[in-house]
Amino acid sequence: MSEILRTRDCVVFYRGDSFAVAASDQMLQGGWTGGQGVQWIDSPLDEFKVSYSEGIFGGFALWGSDESSDQFVSFFGNQIKYGYLVFCTGNWFISTTSFEQYTYASRQAGPLVAITYAEGQKLHFSLRGLWTNEDEWTLSGDPRAPNEFMAGIVMQRPSSLNNNYLGIQTTM
Amino acid sequence: MPEQFRTRNCVVLYKGDTFTVGVNSAMATGGWLGGQGVRWVPSTKDEFLVGYTDGEFGGFVLWGSDESSDKFTAMTTNQPSYRFAVMGAGGWLFMTSTYEQYTYASRIGGGPLVPLVYNPNDRLRYSLRGYWTNEDEWTLSGDPRAPNENFTGFVVQTPTAVTQNFLTVQTIL
Repeated sequence: MSEILRTRDCVVFYRGDSFAVAASDQMLQGGWTGGQGVQWIDSPLDEFKVSYSEGIFGGFALWGSDESSDQFVSFFGNQIKYGYLVFCTGNWFISTTSFEQYTYASRQAGPLVAITYAEGQKLHFSLRGLWTNEDEWTLSGDPRAPNEFMAGIVMQRPSSLNNNYLGIQTTM
Repeated sequence: MPEQFRTRNCVVLYKGDTFTVGVNSAMATGGWLGGQGVRWVPSTKDEFLVGYTDGEFGGFVLWGSDESSDKFTAMTTNQPSYRFAVMGAGGWLFMTSTYEQYTYASRIGGGPLVPLVYNPNDRLRYSLRGYWTNEDEWTLSGDPRAPNENFTGFVVQTPTAVTQNFLTVQTIL
């Protein structure tokens, strides 16, 4: 039985650095989950702007854009409406659902094969900015491979004990 | 003459991140020194559990399980009794006696023991027993995970008589 209440996409046990930043149009249209990896992008305005990470180091979004815990409260739709998110970097201890559950190869061609996570494994961001222990730059033939942007390590593997959340020690 | 009071295994000059974690049975039974390197290990409960590291990245334990400075206080063996430790991660600056003092080869080869020479700015890893070292014990021991690129810190001040043989470390965990 889970001993910890996990009611959000990203549950924080130790807080690192945080900073409110502008979200890209792509993120504002597509939305995001709490724990989503993000990377810096250029902006025509004098602002600090991020978008979905494609494996590049940066940080992660603390709160999702439309989480169930925010329904029926004044925070509802707030980030999308004002075009911002809370960007996190440094050392955090989090538990999140925003990780790749299936291998990159199986997501391309199926059938889906579950990724096995183990404590201490190094984590990157996937091509869509979710936490993963795979190097998707290498697997996809990306010319930037190998991906040496280590974003964290596994603190607790996902299992029924923890509602299938991945525990992460971030190292950004 | 030392200018600093070094009354613990790990003396903190700048504090990074800390987190209270569970310790596994091996650590609770065997004890540990302040500054000991730890890694995340699986648990059968919904808890965050660490064990001695064997070179893997993770963090370090701030206080030893049975330090002389804790004798005759309420802290005596408190951590192993309740199976917890205070784990440090992130950027710290501390002085510690929990580092490898002799080369890996001389420690496993039956002696004579050869002192390990530390220099300022040496990159540090954890040894196979989780002490700070500037050697890559995965490579030296033929571990299939070699080379060990889990850098955990670097040397700020070398151990000498002036520093009471404590190693000063800047962590990058």
